[in-house]
Amino acid sequence: MTIEARPSPPAGVAIPSLPWIARRSAERGLVVAAGVLGILGLVAVHAAMYPAESWDPVVASAVALAGFVVVHIALVVADNRGDEVLLPAAAGLSAVGLVMIYRLRPDYAVRQAAWISLGLTALLIALGTLADLRWIRRYRYLCAVVGLVLLVLTVLVGVERNGARQWLVIGSFTLEPGEIVKLLLVAFFAGVLAEARPLLTLPGPRRWRAELGRLGPLLLVCVGALLLLVFQRDLGLAMLYYGMFLAMLYIAIGRFDHVLAGLVAFAAGAALCYHWFAHVRVRVDVWVNPWADAAGRGYQILQGLFALASGGVTGAGLGAGHPELMPASYTDMIFPAIGEELGAVGTFMVVALYLLFLGRAFRAAVRADGPIDGLVGAGLAAALSIQTFVILAGSTRLIPLTGIPAPFLTYGGSAAVSNCIAVALLLAISDRGERAAADARDGRPNP
Amino acid sequence: MVGRTRNVARLLAALFGVLLAYLACVQVIWGPQLAASPQNPRLALEAERIHWGRILDRRLTVLADSAGTGPSQVRRYPQGPDFANVLGYRSRRYGLTGIERRYDLALLGLPLTDPWEALQEVLGRAPQGNDVVLTLDAAVQAAAVRALGGARGAIVVLDPRTGGVLAMASRPGFDPRAIDAQWATLSHDPASPLFNRATQGQYPPGSSFKTVVLTAGLGSGRVRLTDAVTCPESIDVAGALIHNFEHEQFGQISVLQAFVASCNTAFVQIGQRTGAASVLAAARAYGLGQAVPYDLPTAGGYLPPLPDLGVRGLAQMSFGQGSLLVTPLQMALVAATVGNGGVMMRPFVVSQVRAPDGRIREAFAQRGSRRVIPATLALQLRQAMIQVVQRGTGTAAQLPGVTVAGKTGTAENPHGRTHAWFIAFAPAERPTVALAVIVENGGVGGDVAAPIARQVLAVALPAQTAAGARP
Repeated sequence: MTIEARPSPPAGVAIPSLPWIARRSAERGLVVAAGVLGILGLVAVHAAMYPAESWDPVVASAVALAGFVVVHIALVVADNRGDEVLLPAAAGLSAVGLVMIYRLRPDYAVRQAAWISLGLTALLIALGTLADLRWIRRYRYLCAVVGLVLLVLTVLVGVERNGARQWLVIGSFTLEPGEIVKLLLVAFFAGVLAEARPLLTLPGPRRWRAELGRLGPLLLVCVGALLLLVFQRDLGLAMLYYGMFLAMLYIAIGRFDHVLAGLVAFAAGAALCYHWFAHVRVRVDVWVNPWADAAGRGYQILQGLFALASGGVTGAGLGAGHPELMPASYTDMIFPAIGEELGAVGTFMVVALYLLFLGRAFRAAVRADGPIDGLVGAGLAAALSIQTFVILAGSTRLIPLTGIPAPFLTYGGSAAVSNCIAVALLLAISDRGERAAADARDGRPNP
Repeated sequence: MVGRTRNVARLLAALFGVLLAYLACVQVIWGPQLAASPQNPRLALEAERIHWGRILDRRLTVLADSAGTGPSQVRRYPQGPDFANVLGYRSRRYGLTGIERRYDLALLGLPLTDPWEALQEVLGRAPQGNDVVLTLDAAVQAAAVRALGGARGAIVVLDPRTGGVLAMASRPGFDPRAIDAQWATLSHDPASPLFNRATQGQYPPGSSFKTVVLTAGLGSGRVRLTDAVTCPESIDVAGALIHNFEHEQFGQISVLQAFVASCNTAFVQIGQRTGAASVLAAARAYGLGQAVPYDLPTAGGYLPPLPDLGVRGLAQMSFGQGSLLVTPLQMALVAATVGNGGVMMRPFVVSQVRAPDGRIREAFAQRGSRRVIPATLALQLRQAMIQVVQRGTGTAAQLPGVTVAGKTGTAENPHGRTHAWFIAFAPAERPTVALAVIVENGGVGGDVAAPIARQVLAVALPAQTAAGARP
């Protein structure tokens, strides 16, 4: 199923274009498999729970899943040579998400299908417009400014939902700016770091002033974003952005003292937040001992644990459990909901899908052609990994729970769009990387 | 940059590895215990869907079944409310207690592990919980409750060979059907009918504790049954006078006679010769001072720590007074251990979990054992206890044709009249029944508790013979 298995073309010949039907055949099979499994799940939920209701959610979800096939066809037509597992893994996770959202909140299923369709449209547009990442060199500061403005706007006119996360309301739509800012910050960090890299990785004595001059804006934006997030109580996003920043800094510059300073700063910041903010204390205390207030603040996290425990190995079956006992079952607590109805088999499958997707994202970053591609790829891979871990581990009480969407799984439009754009960028990065690798292998000069 | 990207990927992969290991723990390893938490509302929701399993005695007499479906399902108790302190209640408002609570998952048939049953459930058949079979014998339990009558107290009857509990009575009792209706009365009643005295009541043991002191004395080699002691009317211990019950005095007697006549002043000397450390060690060996592992919640009682025991403390402990506290279950185990040749069987009351079609899912013949004292020592103690019933303070426990071994206790306490104790096993040569009886503020053990023990033994012994005759 891998691309390397194909015989290399003879040296000195431009990479031949395969006939359409032979391109991305692994991806085709996997995307179709993900879609079929998703539709089976939706039909099962419909039959078990809403046999007398309209089929609209099932049809809408099936259409959304078919969208992945459309994206596949677009990639074939565009002769993308990039990774063939990224899209199917995203499709698989989206399918699980659609099935669970239909099961948990049938009234939201059609909307989630629409969000995924919108996200896939954004994916195609991004492939056409943003794929060549050289724009980052020019617009990196614009990214930072737009990102910060979005966060400031959220603080100023944002609406609070679910106690923590802030939303921007535009007409009848609510926008979760954090998801878009995530992409903007990756672009900004990548732009600044790619530029600063040659200087900062030179051998010889440290040049403190130059270092500060190069990294100063980075630090400034990072601290600014964190302050805004702490101000709006969004600890999950704060953790995500900070982790992203540290990972990209380390990857770009590779100095251990940066990482150490970053971790010390994180510990200090966390301690200060715990000391200053009651809501942080509540989160931590509830994590340490949810039993102390089992019917109150500990309720959500305990119900999550009970959901996982009641699921056991094979789960209660779709529609046969009680995940509705968990507040926010279709957003923050969707992973325990999967655990209850699909069991450890289900949660392990979901984690496996994530590992597949994230592994392939890192692979694209490792094989990327050039520092911007490499940094954006690694930044996206790290961001999505951290985000996934924070919410999966948080909703299962491995770490304190901070609300943040699980990529592709959780209900939400902003997340769908942002993650689909991330897939587009990763596919473009992977495409260039594979082409460059093929060129190098065949002895063609790098254009 | 490539190497560092890989490092970051490795670090994050390790985090996901931790997540997977943790998920395996929560969902698979800790799962069943966590899901059984009373804080988990899923159980109550499931309970409305499932036809609750029955609770049966060892002859499969139905002690609890249920009628109705869904929210109108109610427990029925064909044998009456005599078993309530063991079975517990099942209330939608006040939760579960007793076996209902401990075996809730089994009674609800959760988790549904059998694919065939899962399929039948999908096909719309109302799911049926498992039956729980107890070691209790309905006839013995009824006899125990009847023997206590209107008195406050408890009786624990067990099979010393297995540890299986034949009866466990706690009076006053309650009607488990009336929990919702009479909660305010029941929960505020000063006689504490909801309190399971048999396992959680903590009382001074009085002279029944002399069995433990004699164990320590004989076991340490510092005392022999034939040694001479004096039994004056009172004895001076560090300036405090300790009196015999009803000012009895027997002059110079043997240790055996002191035990048979239950002479306090003689036992003060036996305790002094044995030493506090040995007495406490023997008490601990019998499991006193610590909660007995059992299917229902148990209390541990109290053993004073050695440094707190002065000369007076040791003297009071020698006849079972002072700060000592024991539960009826613990004292029944003392008798059972002596009767069983020095080996204590871990007590249990659930012997089987059966599927609705009668298939046995889980079965226990016993739950483990522990040698407490050497067999020769157990033999000596048995002889002493036989004498108590034949010609000592426990003659009221005599049964025609059966040798009963026992020890009386009359425990002073701050709540008024003395508690009447009797611990016993029978037939003394090959015991099939061991028991402990306590009547709170009942008076003298030999007069009040021993006759009750006789009534219970009169039912329990034939019941054991009948049970032993079955395959």
